Amino acid sequence: MKIDLSEDLKEEMKRLKEELADLKEKITEATEMRRRKGRGIYIDVGNRVHDYVEDVMEGVAEGIHGELEKSIFIGPRGRSIRILGPHEPFENEGKEVGFDKVAEVMSALGNEHRLRILGELMTGGKYINELQEKLSEIATSTLSSHLDVLEGAGLVVQERVRGRYLITMPGRSAYKMARRVTRFAERRSQE
Amino acid sequence: MKWHDYQLADTVSKTTENITLWKSEKGILEIEANTLALPVELDGEAKGFVFRGKGKLLLDAIVETDKGAVGKSVEKELNKSFLMLGSPVEVQPRLGPTNRKDFERLELESQQAFVSEAESLLDEFFDGSTHNGRCIDKSGGFVFAFPNESDRLDILVAKGSKLVYTGVDRSFVSHGNKVVLTSPEGVIVSHNGKSIFVSKCHRHIH
Repeated sequence: MKIDLSEDLKEEMKRLKEELADLKEKITEATEMRRRKGRGIYIDVGNRVHDYVEDVMEGVAEGIHGELEKSIFIGPRGRSIRILGPHEPFENEGKEVGFDKVAEVMSALGNEHRLRILGELMTGGKYINELQEKLSEIATSTLSSHLDVLEGAGLVVQERVRGRYLITMPGRSAYKMARRVTRFAERRSQE
Repeated sequence: MKWHDYQLADTVSKTTENITLWKSEKGILEIEANTLALPVELDGEAKGFVFRGKGKLLLDAIVETDKGAVGKSVEKELNKSFLMLGSPVEVQPRLGPTNRKDFERLELESQQAFVSEAESLLDEFFDGSTHNGRCIDKSGGFVFAFPNESDRLDILVAKGSKLVYTGVDRSFVSHGNKVVLTSPEGVIVSHNGKSIFVSKCHRHIH
């Protein structure tokens, strides 16, 4: 008895070839994915997990931002991170600036001796006699009045109990700004 | 008892010289001579005073960080009645008798007017408090309560290098190199030079 298997075999061979091609394609994809991402198991779950994680992270970010709005973290080595909202303008963009305060600060900075005092306080709090020692070119009475001006502008604060003078956060910022302006002016004059 | 067993003594005295009631690295509290003093007693022993006269509190409620200092010194003129609970040994030897002029000078009609002020102060201090007053007695530290401009009490608790101050617009807690300050500028927590500052207005911070 002769059984003709040629048609069935042909069909089977065709199906196997298709499966083989499909497998080769999947192996190629998997190899490529592994090459890109390193070792691991990859399961394609579409965008659902990605969307979910994004939603969660957005909620967490909003929560953190709500609590720490306009905040600064000061690390052990002075590194700082500002946390701003996704649509929050940088600094006081759009807000009214207190020009009287700005003028007071700029006026306080507009004196070489006062800048030298701030420079000394950048290295740490000092008593008036220590400042006098470091800045011998400034007369004692003048030094006190300069410190009053700096304190009035909020750039320096005095410990009333111990008598030490400390540079404030705005004081440090103002001093750094003054140095940047100086460097800019020096570069301009060289051009 | 309404004041947790504390009672006011019957006799008002006055200080015969300037006295430093409390002093530490961060603060000092002094009263001048001729300040009225009414002992606050517990079990018949003086455990503190209500004072009325001239005095001054200085407190450096300032936190140093490597980004600059935050806070300011608290300077408070003590010209209203204020309470001190703590060791009276520094005060007792420097007290003398009062006369009518001592009360008139402070615009008090009589001794009773001062006693009434002292009673009101203790009422307010112990109002709603759930603590056992004897804890203050055993702590070995000091508790001061000063009326402020908001008609509430500023409180200062001090023991050695530890201090807690709560005022109208700021609170300051210090224990060695650990400091917490809440002020209109924000909240700052500092420990060994490491600080976290949550600013209420970042206008001053860059």
